[in-house]
Amino acid sequence: MERHARPVTAATVPAGSPFAVQKFAGYGVAAVAAVLVLYPAFFLLQAALDVGDPQTRPPTAYGLDNFSGLFQFPQILLNTLTVSLAATVMALVFGFVMAWILARTNVPGRRTFEQLMAVPYYLTPLLGALAWSLLGSPESGFINQVWRELGGQSYLININTPYGIAWVMALFEGSVAFVMIAAVMKSMDPSLEEASQIMGASRVRTMLRITLPLVVPGVLGAAIFVFAEMLGSFAVALVLGLPNRYYVVTTAIYQLVQQYPPKIQVAAAMGVSLFAVMFVMLFLYRRVVMGGSYVTITGKAFRPRVADVGPLRYILLGVCVLYLFAAVVMPLATLLYASVQKIAVAFPAAENLTLDNFRTAMSMNAVRSALGNSLLLGFCTATIGVVLMGLLAWLIYRSRLPGSGLIEYIVMFPQAVPRLVFAFGMMWAWVVFPIPVYGTLWLLLIAYLTVFLPLGVRTIAGVMLQIDKSLDECAQMCGAAWAFRMRTVTVPLLMPGLIAAWLLLFIASIRELGASILLMGPHSKVITPSIVESWFGTSSELTATLALIQTLVVAIAMVVLVALTRRVAAQPVD
Amino acid sequence: MQPLQPRPHIEVDGLELSYGNVPAVRGVSFNVLPGEQLTLLGPSGCGKTTTLRAVAGLEKPTAGEIRIDGVPVYSSARKINVPAEKRGLSMVFQSYAIWPHMSVFNNVAYGLRVRRLGATQIAEKVGHALDLVQMRDFSGRRASQLSGGQQQRVALARAFVFQPSVLLFDEPLSNLDAKLRADMRIELRDLQHRLGITSLYVTHDLEEALAMSDRIVVMRDGLVEQTGTPDEIYSLPRSAFVADFIGAANLIRGRHRPDLAVDDLVAIETTDVQIIYGMAYGRTVGPEPVVSVRTVHLKISLQPPAETRNVWPVRVEKTVFQGDFSQLHIAWGTQRLIARCAAMEPIAPGREVYMVIEPRRVVLLGAE
Amino acid sequence: MAQLINRNLTRRRLLQAGTAITVVPFLGIAAPGILAQGQTKSPAKVLDFLTNADVAKAEQEGQLVFYCHENEAGTAGIMEGFSKDFPKIKTSYVRAQTGALYNKILSERSAGRFDVDVIQLSDLAPAVDFQKKGGYEFYVSPESPAYKADHLSTPNGSFFWTGVDPAGIAYNTDKIAAGDAPKGWQDIVNPRWKDSISCKIVASGLQFVQWYTLRKIYGAGFWKEFAKLNPHAFDSRVQLFDRLAKGDDMITAIGEYPAYILFKGKGAKVAFVAPTDGLVATPLVVGAVNKAPHPETSKLFVDWAMSKRGQAWYQSNPNLYYGSVRTDAPPMPTGVRLADLKLLYPADWDDYAANREVFAKEWNGMLGL
Repeated sequence: MERHARPVTAATVPAGSPFAVQKFAGYGVAAVAAVLVLYPAFFLLQAALDVGDPQTRPPTAYGLDNFSGLFQFPQILLNTLTVSLAATVMALVFGFVMAWILARTNVPGRRTFEQLMAVPYYLTPLLGALAWSLLGSPESGFINQVWRELGGQSYLININTPYGIAWVMALFEGSVAFVMIAAVMKSMDPSLEEASQIMGASRVRTMLRITLPLVVPGVLGAAIFVFAEMLGSFAVALVLGLPNRYYVVTTAIYQLVQQYPPKIQVAAAMGVSLFAVMFVMLFLYRRVVMGGSYVTITGKAFRPRVADVGPLRYILLGVCVLYLFAAVVMPLATLLYASVQKIAVAFPAAENLTLDNFRTAMSMNAVRSALGNSLLLGFCTATIGVVLMGLLAWLIYRSRLPGSGLIEYIVMFPQAVPRLVFAFGMMWAWVVFPIPVYGTLWLLLIAYLTVFLPLGVRTIAGVMLQIDKSLDECAQMCGAAWAFRMRTVTVPLLMPGLIAAWLLLFIASIRELGASILLMGPHSKVITPSIVESWFGTSSELTATLALIQTLVVAIAMVVLVALTRRVAAQPVD
Repeated sequence: MQPLQPRPHIEVDGLELSYGNVPAVRGVSFNVLPGEQLTLLGPSGCGKTTTLRAVAGLEKPTAGEIRIDGVPVYSSARKINVPAEKRGLSMVFQSYAIWPHMSVFNNVAYGLRVRRLGATQIAEKVGHALDLVQMRDFSGRRASQLSGGQQQRVALARAFVFQPSVLLFDEPLSNLDAKLRADMRIELRDLQHRLGITSLYVTHDLEEALAMSDRIVVMRDGLVEQTGTPDEIYSLPRSAFVADFIGAANLIRGRHRPDLAVDDLVAIETTDVQIIYGMAYGRTVGPEPVVSVRTVHLKISLQPPAETRNVWPVRVEKTVFQGDFSQLHIAWGTQRLIARCAAMEPIAPGREVYMVIEPRRVVLLGAE
Repeated sequence: MAQLINRNLTRRRLLQAGTAITVVPFLGIAAPGILAQGQTKSPAKVLDFLTNADVAKAEQEGQLVFYCHENEAGTAGIMEGFSKDFPKIKTSYVRAQTGALYNKILSERSAGRFDVDVIQLSDLAPAVDFQKKGGYEFYVSPESPAYKADHLSTPNGSFFWTGVDPAGIAYNTDKIAAGDAPKGWQDIVNPRWKDSISCKIVASGLQFVQWYTLRKIYGAGFWKEFAKLNPHAFDSRVQLFDRLAKGDDMITAIGEYPAYILFKGKGAKVAFVAPTDGLVATPLVVGAVNKAPHPETSKLFVDWAMSKRGQAWYQSNPNLYYGSVRTDAPPMPTGVRLADLKLLYPADWDDYAANREVFAKEWNGMLGL
């Protein structure tokens, strides 16, 4: 009997630092995250508390006057609440109905519809707002023009109202509600309902007494999360609200910053207040979801009971089609329709049709460079982001290094701050930074990595947590050091999640608006803010053209990337 | 003169481990001798898995010392904590922990690759290991395509392929069905003997522990209740908990009657003023002595038995048929006892019968 | 008769300006010398204009960074003109409405960033302010003699009026019959236009001028009446006319003449009214910036913009259609000369600048902010 693998004598391993590489990587990446998040946050807070001369930096006097000054804008706060609440309710209704249809009934084509539900997110709320503006403006909207042709009076819908804004927000920013509610529905143990039915309860009664109450905590969690997101929404209110003098906090901040002299301090105070509310919401969300006592989410994936709804399923199919029509088909078609006209109307005369908009768009140097920048930035953000956020996810959820709980809060911090507001802080923070990143694409890269931390870490963590700890522990017991284990066990298992995160980050950076709009420089234009600038500075037809071009480019990039990754994933591991 | 004791391979000394404020292990000590299998046995939550993982290096204890081959791998006093990958141990996990993205061959070869062996050596050792667990044919298969039992074998092969001197087992058979479990138990035992590896084994299954172990440590609530060979634990339980956990036992309380002591027997007077004779086995009789009698040691007969000591007429209250044996619920005065008898003609409830207990089967438990 | 810039910038004021500069240390620059630098050199002729810039050096620098208030197409248009004449120089620009633009410049400079070569603003007040802060490079262009003193900075060397953006009233001819059309500024406060009239946002220089001048003529109550109409405010003239053309608004209170020409050309059903009191107008001012990353290029651009060919470009580019104040400028593409138009300017530019906060507060309040 041989005795191999003697343990290293304890005397040679100093106490407290045997995990050298692990600690270095862990703390290194934590330091990066902390700098990315806290450095701008400090400047934001500083600006909010600055009651001295706005032109002098650093601030001369500190106080709370800016916050008390917020009470001069009660209408804006009310508007924000109205729109966010309405949007949340609508998003929940859409999400619940669609989740129920796609997870619990035997509607044909369920799988396809589920995947299509993600499309409105990729289309971006900006595009949705542009399209719906073209559709629903009281005077010039296509729908209203058709209405008048059919003999109606004045207008059928007015998209520039709070409910119009909420409608578009819910359609394009509310798909997360669907994802969350569908997840809850899918993880419900069907035996709970079967027990009810065996005892003689009708299907409706089962739904009301058993299903609904079990789903409530998940729906509540989704409601809180969605509400927090809607509070920080910017693009839709910018396009649809501004023309009608309807301000919410984010657009008000944007306007205040644009004026001369700028009301930076008030804007910063608004931003910090908004952040405070969102933070409370997200804190509540954690409580509700984590601390819930209804045990439906058992960690096992159940196959939920799919109800046979008979002929009703064709009506439900119609509902699904209608939703996708409103959220995807109609907006895209509208933009296409507008882009081929000189002055967009519902019933154009032949001489109104033109391809000039496309010619102009493609010849505009700004557009070409903006598209190129966006693609390059998307690629870099996604690649660097996946590594950074992968390590952070490991640090927070898998390592046992002390302080990892604190890092989780830091990483999730940007979730509670509207991008526009955070960009403020970033503007001040990185302008004084000794290395000249200001005005370059590097600044945008830093900004994107910062604001996407919650998104990336959450996505990767979701996959990481599904990997049993014992797989890593076993590698340890086989004698593998941390770096070796990461390379041979953790990363290969994570690969699907890493690829998904890469794609998500790529899309997110191309569609990013709130931070980019403040941080763009002359050499660092990107596409989505350019579309907004076009909306405010050129014709709506040209803007529609730009939006279409952006969508097309993103779609092509996505197709290419998905095809590539599928090829990579299909290769057998040796 | 004491026989020369081999130096213990694993020594656990005063181990304590708390998760936050919740203590999981509250002072556990034991030794594992080279080549023996020591099993940590106990109900869930008793701290056995935590102890095993502490030995492995996957959990950090709060106090105590762990030595492998005399070398401390953890010591709270000397501030030593060797990371798991450097302790030179090996482990089989409850969930098998087979890596789904690798083939069977690569799963098993992992530990050898870490130790930077050459390709030919690896192929040879892996082949040999797979032979031992009869999985040679599956060598090229994707690990995720295996059944539970097959994964179990691969996990085993992987664990001993690099010839560790110590193997740790974390309830490796609990996810298998009963028949497979019974077979695997025997195979594991044979393998362990063949390779002569020192094993530290954790299970909550009594049969498993009794069948496989050289010695057993019974744990409850983070503490050691009793350490001994399977036979000792079974026949001479030290406490009521051990008595009842290791097979079913009847516990009888009473008053010590030293005046009735005879031979080397101890007399206990029950509350019904019955005298029952038992053996102390070196334990001191406390103020409230308790004796334990295994259910199989209650002999029931319809005719008056020949013995004179520990004989009583009793009444059968209920018979439960269990296939290979029957369980009789006996009324003994005011006490209820349970007897396990080999399959017999069913005895009607209410029937008067005779009960005999051999005094040496009446075990005095240690004072609480 | 066009009202003129205040001539009262005396020596005393200049000295005051000088002391003001030293109180602003964080702009990090020395006081601009009254003795101009590079004046001793004699101007060179390049293409068909005079310049004191070293053209070879400028082409070596190879880049021009331009901050401008114009919309995307307009700014790109300006750059296109310069690029055509100097293809070796790569241009890049940042555009934002004057207020936002000026903020950006100030905050960059206060952080020690000097990234911009030339700026164009649509409001005289921030230009004068920037001059006081010593932000402009002191450079007297050899093209200066073609300009009246009123249309140059005081003293000359900081900025000049590259053009004038006049605005009147415009309306959608489908919605408003010719007979009902407004004739003068007082007609824009007609309750008939409620919820259907547009104007520009508070960051617009032109809007500030209109507010100031009409307030002087019609009194403070004028804009309060206007506020009752719930006007919609926008960033750019293109947006205003886009909505006008589609009928989203019936009428705009600040219809810029250049935009009118552009949209009429596209076939939009809009009409322009030159109010009897005169068109409000704001100067569009261009100046080279101090501590520019490409100093020779910036000087070259100033000379180009001031020159006849530059001015012709500014006037004829369909995204600009500015009116030139150069004394020998040709007429605008529509045949109208700027000098023929009755233009309303602030009489006292200092008083005008001082009223900015009042304007901002009133205008924001009107728009619901």
